[in-house]
Amino acid sequence: MSAHDKTAPAPTRAARFSAAGRATFDLTLRLGGLAVAIVLVGLMFQSLNDAFLNTDVIISVLRSMSSVAIMGLGLTLVIVIGEIDLSVGAMYGLAANALAVIWIQGGVPVYLAIPLVLLLAVLVGLFNGVLTTALRIPSFIVTLGSYNLLYGLSLYVTHASTFNPNYPPEGYTVDDGQLAFFIALTKQFGAHQFSVEVFWMLGLVLVVGFLLHRTLFGFRLVAIGGNPVAAQLARLPVRRYKIVAFILSAVIASIAGVLDFSFIQTSQPDLGLSQTFPVFAAVIIGGASLAGGKGTAIGTLGGALLLAELQIGLALLSPGPHAQQIFLGAVTIGAVALDLGLTRLRARRNA
Amino acid sequence: MSGATRLEIRGLRKSYGNTRALDGLDLDLIPGEVLGIAGPNGAGKSTLIRILGGEERQDSGEMHGDGRPFAFADAARLVAVVHQEPQLFPNLTVAENLLVGREGGHVLRPRTPRSDRALMEALGLGPYAARPLGTCTLAVQQRTEIARALARDARVFLFDEPNSALTDEESDELFREIHKLAKAGNIVILVTHRLTDLVEHTARVVVVRDGRIAAELSGAALTEEAIAQELVLAEHRGVPDAARSGRDARADADLLRVAGWTHRGGAFADVSLRVARGEILALMGVEGSGARELLRSLGGVDPARGDIAVADATGAAAIGKLTAYVPATRQLSLYTNLTVGENLLVRLGRPDIADATGTLRPRRMKALADDAVKRFLVKTRTLTQGIRSLSGGNQQKVAIAQALAFRPRLLLLEEPTRGVDIGARREIYRLLAEFAADGNAVVMYCTEVPEMFEAADRVIVVSDGRLSAPLSVAEHPHVEALATEVTRLERHGRAA
Repeated sequence: MSAHDKTAPAPTRAARFSAAGRATFDLTLRLGGLAVAIVLVGLMFQSLNDAFLNTDVIISVLRSMSSVAIMGLGLTLVIVIGEIDLSVGAMYGLAANALAVIWIQGGVPVYLAIPLVLLLAVLVGLFNGVLTTALRIPSFIVTLGSYNLLYGLSLYVTHASTFNPNYPPEGYTVDDGQLAFFIALTKQFGAHQFSVEVFWMLGLVLVVGFLLHRTLFGFRLVAIGGNPVAAQLARLPVRRYKIVAFILSAVIASIAGVLDFSFIQTSQPDLGLSQTFPVFAAVIIGGASLAGGKGTAIGTLGGALLLAELQIGLALLSPGPHAQQIFLGAVTIGAVALDLGLTRLRARRNA
Repeated sequence: MSGATRLEIRGLRKSYGNTRALDGLDLDLIPGEVLGIAGPNGAGKSTLIRILGGEERQDSGEMHGDGRPFAFADAARLVAVVHQEPQLFPNLTVAENLLVGREGGHVLRPRTPRSDRALMEALGLGPYAARPLGTCTLAVQQRTEIARALARDARVFLFDEPNSALTDEESDELFREIHKLAKAGNIVILVTHRLTDLVEHTARVVVVRDGRIAAELSGAALTEEAIAQELVLAEHRGVPDAARSGRDARADADLLRVAGWTHRGGAFADVSLRVARGEILALMGVEGSGARELLRSLGGVDPARGDIAVADATGAAAIGKLTAYVPATRQLSLYTNLTVGENLLVRLGRPDIADATGTLRPRRMKALADDAVKRFLVKTRTLTQGIRSLSGGNQQKVAIAQALAFRPRLLLLEEPTRGVDIGARREIYRLLAEFAADGNAVVMYCTEVPEMFEAADRVIVVSDGRLSAPLSVAEHPHVEALATEVTRLERHGRAA
């Protein structure tokens, strides 16, 4: 290093601000590794079961990953700023249940009910964010609490019952036009039943990716997550950004909830709770660091893809539900262990 | 090892990255003697303490006791460090704290042995034995640390700023214990900023500077003035013969005006201060004097109330828009997860690095970062490498450039060249002079006189939250003259 100090007084002409440098190289390596893993796992399943790599399976992998991926995108924002949001799964469930109650039972048109649900998510995010920043309660605790609160709320508003807009409960009707609109949100088309939900997912990857990597908001999000004390001393709007991150996380999770409700068309009070940890796994496998300051939208998408691939591949091999859980655990730990190992190896080489 | 063993330290070296903390330090530790260690911040004092206490390993160098090498494992057992903030278990009682680490191999919860009870009585800890340590006063916690060390037969007692938060009475009590330990044939080391304590309670004082023992004072030569002189003359080799002469002495328009400025935490009250355009002002003061807090309050980091005006703005707007604060340690201003270029621009917002919609402007960011790297002579190969790949001096330049990129009118720096080599130090001073010459101003908190002599126009000494009359650096022919004057004001201020 000191040798460079003496020989290179002026910066070289890097083509663009974010052109290939060490930091970018690390990121490329990480995403490249993830891509390789996704391909290898695909080939492994194909060799075990030659029915794996066909259009139907690929489409069902893409569809089934979408809710985890979408929730993961919101969670990525919170994790990048150095906080935790355990309530995404419960928010997803509350969004679906609240929509069912407001629309089917309350008779509010679905066009208005969905914005109301998103507004509810804004309030939940505000709750998480304000308690974390103003009262300085660790976000792990706040969102562990709101996880339970939101589930309780789901049970309360639905009276612990399920809803299906195609079969409204006795005494209630659902307008056909509204039902058609709602189902069209995740419409399946073509010979292979490709769902529009996949486009929602890809669209949100673009939006969150742009937000995280191409805007001032994202730049500061990464900076605050990397060194919150420095950000405070430099008078960056740390609190405001944290609150906004929690709001975005809740809103994005509720979008996933609404979309999945549209696809599955049945709501249950405990919807989404079991998704909590797969969402975390996807974000972590995607290269985000729980210490903050690190994480990408495309990585989270890759993490969700790898998980869905494993899940459907194992389901097709049908060794039983235990295998999926065991793989989920092993892949989560393995991905982070591999990442840390490679980082240390490179650090030693460069030292 | 018996109590009467002399410890010899030879050629101790330790580096952190590119920073050399200890550079071949030699030191003899004599049983029965209280040795004082003094040194400016960043001189290697804390590294020496950590190595002696076995918390860290030296890169090279040896420690001998009785002619035998003094192993790393021995240090952990024989050397006891009594910290400024005791590092114990606040959730356990005093008696339990004594037991931790020497419970033996029992299955049952260990009970306090009789010898521990006697020890606690001897140290006046008897009444507190069953109290959770966290609820005891700092003095009791420190005595618990001493008791812990005695219980495991420690022979070397290292007191690190032990009385900085004690009352006078508690402090006297502590020094009685310290002398008792020495009389019993132990090696006792006192590390402190308080010169009075060094003169009063030690037989010999060594001053650590640039990772070496720069001076050793004992007998008649051991006076507060002598230690103070040695302390503030850090890095004297690099100091030019002339003070900074960038600004003529006539009073220009004020850039900063502060009146009735009072710290919320009580570090200073009712302070008035004026800094002219083009001026570089140094605030000097020991830890706890309020100098650091005053600087931080001007940057809006420490809360204070009163009237403040910077250029044409007043109050919160003046602080928020026109001042920029650079903390003493780079860990508090740099972002290790960002690149060099990103670190330079991180304080900026719209419209500098993003357009009205909040979208980043990569080309403009690159141009700004390129410009900053050139202007501040940051030695980096690319803008996209990690910040940690730069040397300490260059990291510090990035930290200052990051604040200047914000285009403040008043730049606030805390120990701007701590841990920076002479070459980078020169360049940093030149950058500050250029910034001031553009009609801006700089206020910096310094602990070393050569820095003030070289970089500042005026020096104000802060003691007990009060400001001295300003010293004009140009009126002092050489750095020693300024050092004498600063030392005098410092002592005078504390006596008042």
